[in-house]
Amino acid sequence: MSDMSDTALKQPACPSVRARFSRGMKLGLPILLGYMPVGMAFGILARTHGFNALQAVTCSATAIAGAGQFIGLSLMSAGESVFGVIAATTVVNLRYVLFGATLSTHMSSTPLAGQAALAFSVTDETFAVNIDDHRRGLADAYSMAGVGVIAWLGWVLGTAVGATAAGFIGDPYRFGVAFAMPAMFTALLVAQAEDRRHIVMAVVAGVLAIGFALLLPGKWYIVATAVTASALGAVIYK
Amino acid sequence: MSSAYIWAVIAGMGIANYAVRFLPMALLSRLELPRPLLRFLSFIPVTVMSALTVGEILRPDGQWLVPTSNPYLFAAIPTAFVYYKWRSFLGTTVAGIGFFLVFRALVG
Repeated sequence: MSDMSDTALKQPACPSVRARFSRGMKLGLPILLGYMPVGMAFGILARTHGFNALQAVTCSATAIAGAGQFIGLSLMSAGESVFGVIAATTVVNLRYVLFGATLSTHMSSTPLAGQAALAFSVTDETFAVNIDDHRRGLADAYSMAGVGVIAWLGWVLGTAVGATAAGFIGDPYRFGVAFAMPAMFTALLVAQAEDRRHIVMAVVAGVLAIGFALLLPGKWYIVATAVTASALGAVIYK
Repeated sequence: MSSAYIWAVIAGMGIANYAVRFLPMALLSRLELPRPLLRFLSFIPVTVMSALTVGEILRPDGQWLVPTSNPYLFAAIPTAFVYYKWRSFLGTTVAGIGFFLVFRALVG
């Protein structure tokens, strides 16, 4: 295991573009592991909701919207208007605004075209991996592109498998992949808790998250927790 | 569901989801942000990570699990230790899946 961390996290002083990109792909492997089964579930569900395989794969490839896509399906089968479906799936993913704002503090030297390409793959998981890599001072546009590509591949390939060959594979969750994302987030949380103030903020956020998750629907507890706890942190640690 | 309806939703979802990802990044990276806002943003990673972990472990797939029979919660403890000790994300994820399979068999 220590071998994996060495190859994934250390790099020579001036690595080539290809080395930085493939380092990002290695960092993103846990995301691939977590996205494949969820993408499969979306592929299967989309087919049962009247999508053909091409539509299911195109939707995953262009939106990469996770929960937003599942909500979209259920609203579509309830007969919601095109605008209503788009609005709902976008609102569900408004937390990406917060992620984009946080990433922006590390991306002032990345040209607009590069930002435009990298923004495409912002999700909970790629944000978590990239922001941790920035904290270590290792991330750059190419490593972020590697993380984005591997995450995108996991989501799109999973959808393709689910939409075309679900019957042959059966339930992917029997392999325990349901814990891939929780395991990665647990590791990233430990990685973030580097000093006393970050440990304090992690605990505050954890308690708030339970409260907000009880009160708010869907994934809104993430934004509510992050905004409240970070505002507290900004006031306390002047 | 008509094919035109499905394609319209797919196109709109793609564009809208891209806009919420790209616009804040493009606009804010060009501005000199005030210090209090930078301090606020510096706490976003750790608080997002804590919220995500708590949500994924206590309420996987949107369902609250009873803590004493929650294999996610049990598996998270050795998983955190493995990362703390060996500092590998991929290794920790694979080990975590192993812990999860064990605890799912025992308490899930």
